[in-house]
Amino acid sequence: MATPKKEIPRVGVFVCHCGINIGGVVKVSEVVEFAKTIPDVAYAEANLYTCSSEGISKIKEAIKKYNLNRVVVASCTPRTHEPLFRNACEEAGLNKYLFEMANIRDQCSWAHMHEPEKATTKAKDLVKMAVAKARLLEPQDEPEIDVTPSALVIGGGISGMTAALSMANQGFNVNIVEREPELGGMLAKLHMLCPNFEDASKALSSIVDAVKSNQKINVLTSSEVEDVKGFIGNFDVTVKKDDKPLKLNQGTIVVATGAENFEPINMYGYKSNENVLTQMQLEKLLKTGDLRKPDKVVMIQCVGAREEKGRQYCSRICCGVAIKNALIIKDLYPETELFIIFRDLQTYGQEYEACYTEAREKGVHFIKYTSSNPPEVSSNSEGKLTIKTYDAFLKEMVELESDLVVLSTPLIPQKDAEKLSKILKVPLGSDGFFFEAHVKLRPIDFATDGIFVCGSAHSPKDISESISQALGVASRAAIPMANKHVRADAITSIINEDLCSGCGTCVRICPYGAIQKNEIGIAQVTSVVCKGCGTCAASCPEKAITMRHFTDDQITAQALAALEG
Amino acid sequence: MEFEPKIVGFLCNWCSYAGADLAGVSRIQYPPNIRIVRVMCSGRIDPDFILETLIHGADGVLVMGCHPGDCHYIEGNLHAERKAKMLRNLIAETGLEPERMHLEWVSASEGARFAQLVKEFTDRITKLGPSPISGENPNKVILENLLAAKRTAGDFRLRVIVGRERELVEDKNAYGEKVPQEKLDELLSEAIKTEYTRNRIYNMLEKESLSVRELSKRLDLSTQDVLTNIVVMRKKGMLGVERIEGTTPIYMSLEVR
Amino acid sequence: MADSVLVIGGGIAGIQASLDLASRGMNVYLVDENPSIGGRMAQLDKTFPTMDCSICILAPKMIECSRHPNIKLLTYSEVQEVKGSAGNFEVKILKKPRYVDEEKCTGCGTCAQSCPVEVPNEFDMNIGIRKAIHIPFLQAVPLKYLIDEENCLKCRLCERVCGAKAVNFDQKPETINLNVGSIIIASGFELFDSTKKSEYGYGRYRDVLTSMEFERMLSASGPTGGNLVRLADGKVPNTIVFIQCIGSRSSKDLPYCSSVCCMYATKEAILIKEHHPESEVYIFYIDLRAFGKGFQEFINRARDEYKIKYIEGHPSRIVEDPKTKNLQVHYEDVVEGDIKNIVADLVVLCPALIPRKGNEKLSKIMNVQLDELGFFKAKDSLLNPIDTNIPGIFICGYCQSPKDIPDSVAQASGAAARAAETIIQATQRGKR
Repeated sequence: MATPKKEIPRVGVFVCHCGINIGGVVKVSEVVEFAKTIPDVAYAEANLYTCSSEGISKIKEAIKKYNLNRVVVASCTPRTHEPLFRNACEEAGLNKYLFEMANIRDQCSWAHMHEPEKATTKAKDLVKMAVAKARLLEPQDEPEIDVTPSALVIGGGISGMTAALSMANQGFNVNIVEREPELGGMLAKLHMLCPNFEDASKALSSIVDAVKSNQKINVLTSSEVEDVKGFIGNFDVTVKKDDKPLKLNQGTIVVATGAENFEPINMYGYKSNENVLTQMQLEKLLKTGDLRKPDKVVMIQCVGAREEKGRQYCSRICCGVAIKNALIIKDLYPETELFIIFRDLQTYGQEYEACYTEAREKGVHFIKYTSSNPPEVSSNSEGKLTIKTYDAFLKEMVELESDLVVLSTPLIPQKDAEKLSKILKVPLGSDGFFFEAHVKLRPIDFATDGIFVCGSAHSPKDISESISQALGVASRAAIPMANKHVRADAITSIINEDLCSGCGTCVRICPYGAIQKNEIGIAQVTSVVCKGCGTCAASCPEKAITMRHFTDDQITAQALAALEG
Repeated sequence: MEFEPKIVGFLCNWCSYAGADLAGVSRIQYPPNIRIVRVMCSGRIDPDFILETLIHGADGVLVMGCHPGDCHYIEGNLHAERKAKMLRNLIAETGLEPERMHLEWVSASEGARFAQLVKEFTDRITKLGPSPISGENPNKVILENLLAAKRTAGDFRLRVIVGRERELVEDKNAYGEKVPQEKLDELLSEAIKTEYTRNRIYNMLEKESLSVRELSKRLDLSTQDVLTNIVVMRKKGMLGVERIEGTTPIYMSLEVR
Repeated sequence: MADSVLVIGGGIAGIQASLDLASRGMNVYLVDENPSIGGRMAQLDKTFPTMDCSICILAPKMIECSRHPNIKLLTYSEVQEVKGSAGNFEVKILKKPRYVDEEKCTGCGTCAQSCPVEVPNEFDMNIGIRKAIHIPFLQAVPLKYLIDEENCLKCRLCERVCGAKAVNFDQKPETINLNVGSIIIASGFELFDSTKKSEYGYGRYRDVLTSMEFERMLSASGPTGGNLVRLADGKVPNTIVFIQCIGSRSSKDLPYCSSVCCMYATKEAILIKEHHPESEVYIFYIDLRAFGKGFQEFINRARDEYKIKYIEGHPSRIVEDPKTKNLQVHYEDVVEGDIKNIVADLVVLCPALIPRKGNEKLSKIMNVQLDELGFFKAKDSLLNPIDTNIPGIFICGYCQSPKDIPDSVAQASGAAARAAETIIQATQRGKR
């Protein structure tokens, strides 16, 4: 690679006390003095909190005053604080990739609190290593990419439609892809809604009408996403509609594919006795008005959920659904006796808890069972059902006869979630639901820029929670579309064409399909697709690949600096 | 003075480095010998880095990545595992204790596990004692061997086999066949041995031009072995004949890229 | 400006809404009545179920708020008056005097070192102490000191030592007039008063703590430096008991479930075990509520790996041994049916999280409805959980209904979307 004339590195080192978090263990002043002796270090100072607005302005001042062209901050972890310090460099006119961090808190002072001497030595080494890398850093660009102000929403249920409407109201074009012939998703199958007993069809028709009449929204029913290429701002999407491929160029993608209901095959007599139903089947009977008056109804919670092994998760909505349906039956047939056999009743928040109280007041019986003593359902020749269960309050086995047993089964990931996750190259969690970028603070983003998730595709949730998330996604996805451009990542790989032999090893290794061979058989990287893992560089038989910001030279220099002295 | 091993860790940003951070945040204490180099993915760790670190006298190298299935980049960690397997075999050839290089999986939530693994590794290395090539009097033979190992790890053939291993074993090769794992392992270990021998010859000849007999003596190899490899290496343009003494050709290394 | 949004409350919900709007080019005024943004999340040690260090993941977002060119932080400020309608609200903000010039203060802390007045630190739930001139916590944003007028002696020592000449006793309350197109309320929650449950002795027994007090104790930057100690005698507690549903799920007090307590108690229990693996930890619960993503798995881990003992039921009372200060927790063993007791060194109460008292004032100022419990009332809790009865005013986070951090974050983004819709449509109407 032709390298431009190298400037002589002038590294500034900022060592943070982090109050007493570092300063209480590591002798910060010693580290600063040591830093001054490292080759190419032009300036070093200690800060009480380098991340404070004061610390930031000190970095900026020093860059100008001492003409620094590389900055090292020795403080906490780059995982949380690198962006902040990089921005400080940028604001002082220094390319932000000329910054490196030494983690002397999380990986030093906190981990070696009783060994101040050794911790100080380690902190010095970590600073030396960071400087060794910093000296070799090069400025990087984050090329700007235009964003198509149009979003693809996969899934036409309540989540997808809500997200689409909000984005349309913000002025963006939206394409909804729904595999069924009609919009509606799970909502279309429901009778009344938890927890306020609103009529599901009414709620559905008002939003479907709004979607259909919105000029910015294009609805593609009986359609499936076949292929997605490209990246944030410019996704090339192939949709199969009525067996014909349709090409769309989209700026952002929203996954709102929902979930499906677990079918409890071979559990509690389901399928072998027609009076054993799932809540979903009961819902249908209630919706069509086909439920004949039962004398007794027994509902069993956690059927196929909260298992010791296997499906460990709680499906969140089933307790609320059972109570709601119990109350509906009570309204229809006040004499019907209702039993809900549960483990822990998940009626969180205000409204579900209020429904639970109402159900108890109206005489719905609640029996608690334990996972070690699950209920048993048997039926006699006339199809009459007997339920034997442990009652954890009475501390004894009880036996109930019933006309109807209703199984509360969890929402489970869509069958094709895995296929879609591969098409979009976004991950699924161990529970099979789509896995967000960060569980706490990025709950509706994917790690891949420009792709978002909402509703039960993320994890089981009720309608109100799905709507909140869907509106949330409408904000997240709107950000790049409103800005009309995004900046691509700078940490990507680049191929030295003179060295590449065209063996294709990298093409097969790259998990993102970011490397392709060009017309003369030489590998080429699409940098906006590259996520920067560097596996290609570590595997290239000709060592023809350079990983920007994590070059062979930089990594080796950093490692070897640990061994000096 | 008590022996304080020098340990270099290569950790991926997303799981293991986060796990190391968590150990600190949780104030879990562990020996302060490790110096961590952060990379984005364990898949980024070129065997070169590890060998280079060992050559420079590290007493131990600890590589850490996400648990299988957790990789932020889908399967970079599996590539790291294959490289580690190759390296273990290769280092075993050099006379350096192969356990000085170790690979472990640590998730972002496993602060305690990180600390425990670092402690165990540090203890193991402390028991093992200083690296034979560190300090005032490095073991020259092992050092030479490691230098040859580093060239070997950079060899096209080895890198292709390691880079393509997953694909060959799990998907299909050009003829639509899957290669059995055992067969690939055999191929790899043969390639390691041969390429390592060739690089030892090459490195030896780089310093001094020698005859086949002298080479076989110095490298403790049969003359037959040396001769076979020299033929291949001449074809590849790695060696040339510097002069002929009587009837004995004296070989020298040629500069390769 | 009419393309601006007022966000009330600088907790994680308010922060998320502000950052979303600012990143797309809209102007945001973020108002917090406290001297720092950060809200409740800043007080937490870790977050469930990933055990992320709370301030570590929050601090970068707080700092981003303070550095974003489109966000104007108005801390230590209150909304006084709101007039107008969607697309054009006129807002009066009262900025309370800090008696420290924000422009000049460098946050160095010399003033606090010299201040002779020590008072309990509210941020540390009054376990730790602070000075009359103080910052609420180390990572405060903005990192600007303030003088607590009530406790200040006016000795003016701080004024003398401040190198930046930032102390200004002549500062007066300031009224700021804003014109915004939309308003987002994210006022969060406060804690049920646990002294109302006199059977547990909170307020009488030194080592019966609320979970928020305990959280501060667990925090490495908290009043005990992250060391778990009994406040009565400084000993390390070995047996620790958690009691769920203090004031919640109760016909006498509050009928609802606070939604997060089973999980944070489990998190705090795991943290105890990580500090002291030999300790015994019990959690008394009514129903174990682990309904969120990865929650049940978290509980399973707590039970199986960390050996935390979950006991169903509600203890009847706690009695302190006046000599040893040990706490006898009396309860009915639901499984075996006997009355039993556990001798605990420390008891943690998990109180109901309740709507903030200030909600009433806000509701009057803006004509926004509250529900009977004092939470902000959504237009339709099922289908319209973010809108209020007033167009252009939106709600998110705990002030709408009990929810955890990710649900608050998602809803906050949702409120940002609704606010953006309001402004974009008002602008389009204006053009026509």
